[in-house]
Amino acid sequence: MAYDPLLARIDELSGAFTAGQIDRRRFLKGLVGLGLSIPAIGVIVAACSSAAATPFAGANSASMAAGATTASGVDLTALVAAAKAEGDIYQTGIPPEWVNYQAIFDLWKSDYGITIDGTATEGEYSSGQELDSIKNTGKPDVGDVGISFAVQAKTQGLSAPYKNSFWADIPDTAKDADGYWCCNYWGAQAFAINTDAVKITIKDWNDLLDPSLKNAVGIDGDPTKANDSFFAVWSAALANGGGVDNIQPGIDWFNKLQQSGNLTAARASDANILSGEVKVAIKWDYLGLAVRDKAAGAPNIAVTIPATGSLASPYADIVAAKAPHPNAAKLWQELIYSDAAQLLFLKGYAHPIRYNVLNAAGKIPADLAAKLPSADLYKNVTLVTDITKITAAQTTLAAGWKIVINS
Amino acid sequence: MRSQVTGTIAGTPTSARSRGGRAAFVLLPFAILVIAFLLVPTVSLIWGSVHDTKTGTLTLNNYSYLSHPLDLVPFRNSLELSLASTILGSLVGLLIAQAIVSSRRPLIQEIATTFSSVAANFAGVPLAFAFIATLGASGLLTRTLLGSGIDLYSGGFKLYSVLGLTVVYAYWEIPLMVLVMLPPLQAMQPSWREAAEILGASRWQYLRAVAIPVLMTPFISSMLLLYANAFGAYATAYALTTGFVSLVPIQISNLINGDVSYDPGLADALAIGLAVIMALCIGGRALLERRSTRWLSR
Repeated sequence: MAYDPLLARIDELSGAFTAGQIDRRRFLKGLVGLGLSIPAIGVIVAACSSAAATPFAGANSASMAAGATTASGVDLTALVAAAKAEGDIYQTGIPPEWVNYQAIFDLWKSDYGITIDGTATEGEYSSGQELDSIKNTGKPDVGDVGISFAVQAKTQGLSAPYKNSFWADIPDTAKDADGYWCCNYWGAQAFAINTDAVKITIKDWNDLLDPSLKNAVGIDGDPTKANDSFFAVWSAALANGGGVDNIQPGIDWFNKLQQSGNLTAARASDANILSGEVKVAIKWDYLGLAVRDKAAGAPNIAVTIPATGSLASPYADIVAAKAPHPNAAKLWQELIYSDAAQLLFLKGYAHPIRYNVLNAAGKIPADLAAKLPSADLYKNVTLVTDITKITAAQTTLAAGWKIVINS
Repeated sequence: MRSQVTGTIAGTPTSARSRGGRAAFVLLPFAILVIAFLLVPTVSLIWGSVHDTKTGTLTLNNYSYLSHPLDLVPFRNSLELSLASTILGSLVGLLIAQAIVSSRRPLIQEIATTFSSVAANFAGVPLAFAFIATLGASGLLTRTLLGSGIDLYSGGFKLYSVLGLTVVYAYWEIPLMVLVMLPPLQAMQPSWREAAEILGASRWQYLRAVAIPVLMTPFISSMLLLYANAFGAYATAYALTTGFVSLVPIQISNLINGDVSYDPGLADALAIGLAVIMALCIGGRALLERRSTRWLSR
């Protein structure tokens, strides 16, 4: 989400689409006309489609009130009063069309009526730009950043510690022990399978080596460049004797897939999935689910999580160290980790950080669960938050991938 | 990547000494252009290629790729792809250009020239997608052929390979050849042929003794242009193959954009390898063009 003059035009189109002024076809044509890459369009459309939908049924502040009674000792009533007195929250890097944030904005406004600023100017900021803004302008209260930037924010003293009421629900790997950042949602590596063209059942990595899948399996970009396909290779390592500490078996497995003739060079972009060029796409679950909805049966697409290896990459939330509205910033934390907002993320196909807890408590509505891969499949998903391990895996991949493509 | 400035200054008569100063003044913008976009980048490339990216010390290590077989694969792929698409593009392009000239209808010539200029510039993501939809594993043509019993993909063809890219590159190489060969073909004087016929030459003798020698230099120089054009192309190949067919320009881009494999020193060294090949092509073309203008300027 780098800042670009194009974004103004994208915003305009997204706005028109979300408001129902133009249909999906015109929206897509408009985006393609801007010369955007197909995956980028996929993300925008997915996010807008969720935003265009009606607000989530049953989303109200009742679930938040329940949060106030948890053991963390946050006095929600006092916090709401203090935040309302500040009257404003300034957000950076939180665009309405991303992971259903618009619905969460609506929830915030209906519950507290506090103005949200920054969306128009800094909504599309990249994680790096967000940190720059916190450091140089001092305006932002909260930011939504990639995991490595969350860690960086803490070391540079740009974030403030705050532990929300749902702290105990959040896995230790997904939060800073001192509360300087906390992951709010994630995507996991998945297979999006064109079930019209693929006749075998695919549940795990080695199913992709089946001889009937010649030129059928695609990844979302060059793994030495694109995060999505990088995590695809890394996830394959989990299923083949490697792990978060060792990506090499994943590279070797992809070499085997390449030698089998099943790996296609065609990118697992929406266009190539829809046209049937890529019959099994390995990519983030939220992108796969979005393209499934976009296809609407032409072709039929099923999304599954590989049984023995899927890595998830999270986004994290930070409170700015010098937030001008510290109470509003804290209240925002309370809101986005609440049941209602977490389910709104899920409705945008981003898995909320409290997904497993919500699932165990039976809080995920059946109609939403039916649209997602089974919750059991997500139990083995591994969240990657260790920056040193990410860097190490990238370095190994840079050397190893040359062998996959050149031998 | 088109060379539009080659061979224009050579041979300009300098009649009066007093004009020298003014000529130098007029050439100033051009000189600035050459310095800013050719000399400075070249010098910085050479400089970067002999320095270590991390330590900044003087080194020739960046050139060690020349001895690693795996690192030379991109060069082999690029050379093969450029050569194959140049041969395909120039032969077909020449035939089409001759057909256009022979038609002697201004309207057809006009339409053909316009179409060629458009097609020669149609590249990148749209072209890649057009080919995926046509010749991809589930492309329209692939499926139609499959219906009539011809299985391209089990027969060894793959759009995402050097062979597949050759076909894609030919899409703009052919019209480019048409564009550059039309002027020399149109400049062939009917009187040459008449003179040869009066002297009793057969059709073959005319071709061998007159037409081919005159056209050989523009033809070869056009081929060199096509070759350089193919060698430097990047967007289409990348959009089509996601980097699976490694070509030199794609390698360079990986080294300077990639979050993972950031090594500008090596990128500079690869770029020097690319630049040497390009310089040979464009230099060769300039030399040949100087010879051919003798015959074909009216």
